[in-house]
Amino acid sequence: MSNAIIPLLLDSLASAALIFFAAVGLTLVFSVLRVLNVAHGSLYSIGGYVAASICLFITSRQLNPYLSFVALLFSAVFVAAIFGPLIERSLVRWTYGKSEAVQILITFGLFLILEDLQRVTFGVQSFYEDAPMRLLGTLNVGGVVYLNYQIFLIGMALFVVIGLRLLINHTRLGRLITAVVTDREMAQSIGIDTNRIFILAFSLGVFLAALGGALATPTSGIAPGLGADTMVLAFAVAAIGGLGQIEGAAVASLIVGVARVLAIYLVPSLDAVAPYAAMLVVLLIRPYGLFGSVTARRI
Amino acid sequence: MAFKAISIVVARCLSSLELLFRLDRGLPQSNLRLVVDGLAGALAIGVVATTSVAAQEKPNAVGLGIFTFTSGPAAAYGMPGKNAADLMIDEINATGGIEGVPVSATYVDEAQGAQGVIAEYRRLAGDAKNQVMIAALSSATCLALAPLAEQLEVPTVGWNCDTHQLLMDGKSKYVFRPNGNTVPEFIAYAIYLLDRKPDVKTVAIINPDYAFGHDAAKIFTAALKALKPDIQIVAELYPKLGSPNYQTEISRLTTARPDVVFSNLWGADLENFVRQATPRGLFASSQVILALGETVLQRVPLPDGVIVGVLGDGWWMSPDAKANPETVKFAEAYKRRFGEYPVFPAIKMANALIYVKAAYKAAMQKNGGKRPTRAELADAMKGSKVATLTGTAQTRADNDGLVDQIVGVTVKTPAQQFPVIGDMARYKGDSLMPQVGQDPLAWISTLKPEFAKSLPKPGSYK
Repeated sequence: MSNAIIPLLLDSLASAALIFFAAVGLTLVFSVLRVLNVAHGSLYSIGGYVAASICLFITSRQLNPYLSFVALLFSAVFVAAIFGPLIERSLVRWTYGKSEAVQILITFGLFLILEDLQRVTFGVQSFYEDAPMRLLGTLNVGGVVYLNYQIFLIGMALFVVIGLRLLINHTRLGRLITAVVTDREMAQSIGIDTNRIFILAFSLGVFLAALGGALATPTSGIAPGLGADTMVLAFAVAAIGGLGQIEGAAVASLIVGVARVLAIYLVPSLDAVAPYAAMLVVLLIRPYGLFGSVTARRI
Repeated sequence: MAFKAISIVVARCLSSLELLFRLDRGLPQSNLRLVVDGLAGALAIGVVATTSVAAQEKPNAVGLGIFTFTSGPAAAYGMPGKNAADLMIDEINATGGIEGVPVSATYVDEAQGAQGVIAEYRRLAGDAKNQVMIAALSSATCLALAPLAEQLEVPTVGWNCDTHQLLMDGKSKYVFRPNGNTVPEFIAYAIYLLDRKPDVKTVAIINPDYAFGHDAAKIFTAALKALKPDIQIVAELYPKLGSPNYQTEISRLTTARPDVVFSNLWGADLENFVRQATPRGLFASSQVILALGETVLQRVPLPDGVIVGVLGDGWWMSPDAKANPETVKFAEAYKRRFGEYPVFPAIKMANALIYVKAAYKAAMQKNGGKRPTRAELADAMKGSKVATLTGTAQTRADNDGLVDQIVGVTVKTPAQQFPVIGDMARYKGDSLMPQVGQDPLAWISTLKPEFAKSLPKPGSYK
């Protein structure tokens, strides 16, 4: 087992990076809008579908393969630009201040619509385009071959955590978001256009979801049903970290990643329940999550 | 007519009572289900009784209920089955239907889950036009529908239904499986592996986390242990069905350093596993067995030397298939219509339709050319031996099928842009099946190395 320690560590980090991308958008949207977006998983898989489609186009036209990295980012921007304002203005804004049950029902309806939309648009076969992964090659660690793309994902996850913190603490937009999160009515009364902040924050959440799907595509397949799995996992991570806590999502992703990888290495039969067992343990000790609190709400 | 419509509606509502009124509170679920199933079954039998006279009249169409996955990750396996059914039915109808009557199919998506599938089955069974159900792909669906088929007395042909548990009691009258099952399918891989790699010492397994994956692991391991007792299983992984990412599992398999990796992943799961394991060198470091590998040959670049098979004899390029003009015609028509050659689930579905057609003909010959009743159709299926696109489907006394098993390895050929199966062995269907009524695992434990020596060797099927 000792020869498995480094692979175990690397696998945990790589797994945590993917889980983080699935969860961070959900937690950001909750922190600003106080809305539990059940359709988050669908936006993740739409990001994956769009990225795979563009990468397949690049490959089929024999364009510069490094354009596929640009395609990953572009697809997330594209999905956020289309779906972010559309969903926020047409559906989500009607749920502000309503009970969680209403929010969940409305966004669950949206989830069902988006899942069918994907099936109609992309079919039922799995989508896969691994050009970015092939371009980066492999790395041998202790006799186990890893994809350099997995290391790239870990780096990207760190970049997103730091980038979000910088955005919120050191930009005007970030300060406006903080003001809205801290006291929505007060922010409105001093002239902050909260509607605009909501559209931007929701679109940023959609961007992060779509980016997660896009970045996952080169190493994972995209198939119908992915949205539901992603959503459940994202909720578990958000609950562990504390709803609305970005750093909480990062730490929770690491916990879930380690739990899953340990289960696969040591007790494979517990693989599927490991993330939820971790959630149960954390919530028994801290019902509001690792970084959550009853009264204060931070992002 | 009004009674029939009301009965169907009531039967369907009864199947949903548990959800509507939470009737399961305070009642053991299995008991409640029996009550609900019994009531719904009684109503559906009433429907069938009122239409039994009509069953003898000249029909407008031969109705078939066809159950497969048309959505969700399992659709990667289910859609080739539906495509093949569409193609075969069009061909049958273009040549005058079955004994002059056109075939009409109603498809049911198994992805809706057991409750929905059971309700759909009852609805279709309530219409006398539907003479036969071709159900189903998933073993779980087959196990759920089998008691209903017996209760409603509807001939039900398992076009896939791999689980060996389906017909184990030997009492089935209306459920048929003109296919192999998990027992011959996975013993075949153990025998082929030991012929090809007799010095194998360690094996790792990665199968989907449900009955098919666990049963396959149990049977494959039992066969290996019986034929070569010193073999060690160094890792057993059961990722969730529909899992998109196998990177951690691949690391775990690599660190176990097994001589052989066995998998019966399928559909999108199999594609994802192959695409993720290939660049990470798993196919180079271990001999990999992909029990359902043929389904992805045209879609992912599998390296040479991977042991693959078709869970039966349904390989469209096998020597028997290539010698059959009907099979060649079917494969070319399938390629023209759907853009790729028929993978083995498509062949299984086509063979199931041929089986049903043969039963119709046999039943009509026996009853003087009248439209057969459901009971007459079931009688015609019993003990039948039907020539299929790829071999023969023989039905045993317990309604289970005897179908040959083809196993080989991936090889490149200048004739195709994708790898094909070479170095094949074709095992006779009856040679890998226990006798009727015999416990399969107990039978496997009695196998001796001499048994394997008596079977065809890799490369012998040309």
